Amino acid sequence: MASVDFKTYVDQACRAAEEFVNVYYTTMDKRRRLLSRLYMGTATLVWNGNAVSGQESLSEFFEMLPSSEFQINVVDCQPVHDEATPSQTTVLVVICGTVKFEGNKQRDFNQNFILTAQASPSNTVWKIASDCFRFQDWAS
Amino acid sequence: MADEGKSYNGQSRAAGRGAGRSGLRVGGAGLGRNPGVNPYATRTNRRGETWHDRDRIHVTLRPRDRPLDRGGAGTSQDGTAKNWFKITIPYGRKYDKSWLLSMIQSKCSVPFTPIEFHYENTRAQFFVEDASTASALKAVNYKIVDRENRRISIFINPSAPPHTVQNELKPEQIEQLKATMSKRYDVSQQALDLKALRSDPDLVAQNIDVVLNRRSCMAATLQIIEENIPELLFLNLSNNRLYRLDDMSSIVQKAPNLKILNLSGNELKSERELDKVKGLKLEELWLDGNPLCDTFRDQSTYISAIRERFPKLLRLDGHELPPPIAFDVEAPTTLPPCKGSYFGTENLKNLVLHFLQQYYAIYDSGDRQGLLDAYHDGACCSLSIPFTPQNPARSNLAEYFKDSRNVKKLKDPTLRFRLLKHTRLNVVAFLNELPKTQHDVNSFVVDISAQTWGFQGRLCIVNDELFVRNASPDEIQRAFAMPAPTPSSSPVPTLSPEQQEMLQAFSTQSGMNLEWSQKCLQDNNWDYTRSAQAFTLLKAKDKIPEVAFMK
Repeated sequence: MASVDFKTYVDQACRAAEEFVNVYYTTMDKRRRLLSRLYMGTATLVWNGNAVSGQESLSEFFEMLPSSEFQINVVDCQPVHDEATPSQTTVLVVICGTVKFEGNKQRDFNQNFILTAQASPSNTVWKIASDCFRFQDWAS
Repeated sequence: MADEGKSYNGQSRAAGRGAGRSGLRVGGAGLGRNPGVNPYATRTNRRGETWHDRDRIHVTLRPRDRPLDRGGAGTSQDGTAKNWFKITIPYGRKYDKSWLLSMIQSKCSVPFTPIEFHYENTRAQFFVEDASTASALKAVNYKIVDRENRRISIFINPSAPPHTVQNELKPEQIEQLKATMSKRYDVSQQALDLKALRSDPDLVAQNIDVVLNRRSCMAATLQIIEENIPELLFLNLSNNRLYRLDDMSSIVQKAPNLKILNLSGNELKSERELDKVKGLKLEELWLDGNPLCDTFRDQSTYISAIRERFPKLLRLDGHELPPPIAFDVEAPTTLPPCKGSYFGTENLKNLVLHFLQQYYAIYDSGDRQGLLDAYHDGACCSLSIPFTPQNPARSNLAEYFKDSRNVKKLKDPTLRFRLLKHTRLNVVAFLNELPKTQHDVNSFVVDISAQTWGFQGRLCIVNDELFVRNASPDEIQRAFAMPAPTPSSSPVPTLSPEQQEMLQAFSTQSGMNLEWSQKCLQDNNWDYTRSAQAFTLLKAKDKIPEVAFMK
């Protein structure tokens, strides 16, 4: 991270996070079928303590979830240090909001994503490397 | 990203911390795994028993603004006579509210939340609490240029508390309201009768004026329902002079099972008021005696207007309706069961729990300088708190507010950058300034969702995202109820040889460490079979904290 000004990384992380939050929750609520495409092939989701890995399992998992209405209240993000993910631009995004799953009461949740920019010769696509979701009142 | 851990990735920890630390600061409960309930004692349904058994009502109701920090400084709690300021923008009516507020926020050195934003004649006005916010806003005067190249003036005047803040019920009044509601609740029918609540003799005798048209009164009433009788089936709100239902909309979440609602004899003028509660799955509704009933040309338009809001309605004003129209395309409505921490592997778990215990021991010690060793040289740290529509200065998270970095609200790149602490020294200096804390280790929940193989050496934090929220009443009650185990201590020597032997066997069989094994045995009077049963039961329910298994 030393070569480019740190502030540039921070700006980039914020832009990626804002864009991502829009795309992710719109897809979740309205085009759930496509959601697993936002994940890397090796990505892991830990959903209230349940671990789900790989695109196929993720697709199945998302299909099983009731339809949702997410509302996002807080988004924070940080660039992830180079040393942790060498030669890959990586961003940590933290989200807090409310979700109403059909047939369930509205609940508060926290969710963390690690996003990484995957460069191919033609373009660069951001993907989710890991996803961790919890209801704030999961224990009750 | 833990530069060195053998099989550990700082990312996962960073990610875990975001949620894992949430709430832990305040009240210490956080995302707990039932820390307050002795895991080896029989557990009863708290909600069921607290409500109608008056002697045992726990104070689960929390006046919204009571600070929950242990030893934390209080903020203004009574909602009156504090430092309120009225912010006036002459000719503010020309500007769109969101444009205006985001411009002010982008120039203002501290984040603020406007209360009661409104236009008055040509002016725009709102209120803020706290002199430092007001003076920061004063500095914005003449700094914003509008599209016509005019500079925008901002005037600050001390003021009385705004209207919505003034009318709040005091904690003791809320307690009385709760007692009154408890008396009016029929537990066998799950029915709450709040008919003509304002003229309740008990409330009148105490001189408490509960007008359900007032936002604060309705909010207090709904909060009592949420915290004590969320299973409510039948609610009678007749004869309360309700003319709007805006403040009632949260009942959809607070009493999701509500089936019967009586709104007879109120002042509702339009069926559109019902849109505010149309998420309720009502089977029976009473509306007679409201002006809206007279606005329909015939009965069938009345019924269809109401059924449009409540498609599952079976009875209206006591009359049976034709059966609702239904098709068999049930979408899934059940969520996967929630589980405790997810560590991946046993090795990771031990590594991370050990790290966290050390980390929070220093964090709570009063001097956080020792955390320097826990962070990577190039570490980042930032903090956010839940977005609060009400005045943040009156919330018990006020101390965290100025550092809160919510990029959804804060659009100014400079401010975004400033709120992100970068490099180890800055991070620890920042943590040192945060309020004193006490963490309940038993309440920790840790999820590890990613890991990489790093370099050689020790664990350290590279990204730290701290999220602080209020603990829920449940969490407050559970917090610190169980003494934190001291991992290094040896078993207490006062045990008899038989007990020692039993303890060793129990520890081996259960997988729990000696302290927790001993606790379990003691709680069950050293009856091995009973202890084993208690353990199996709680293990199956996932009620035993991770620390119990740390050896």
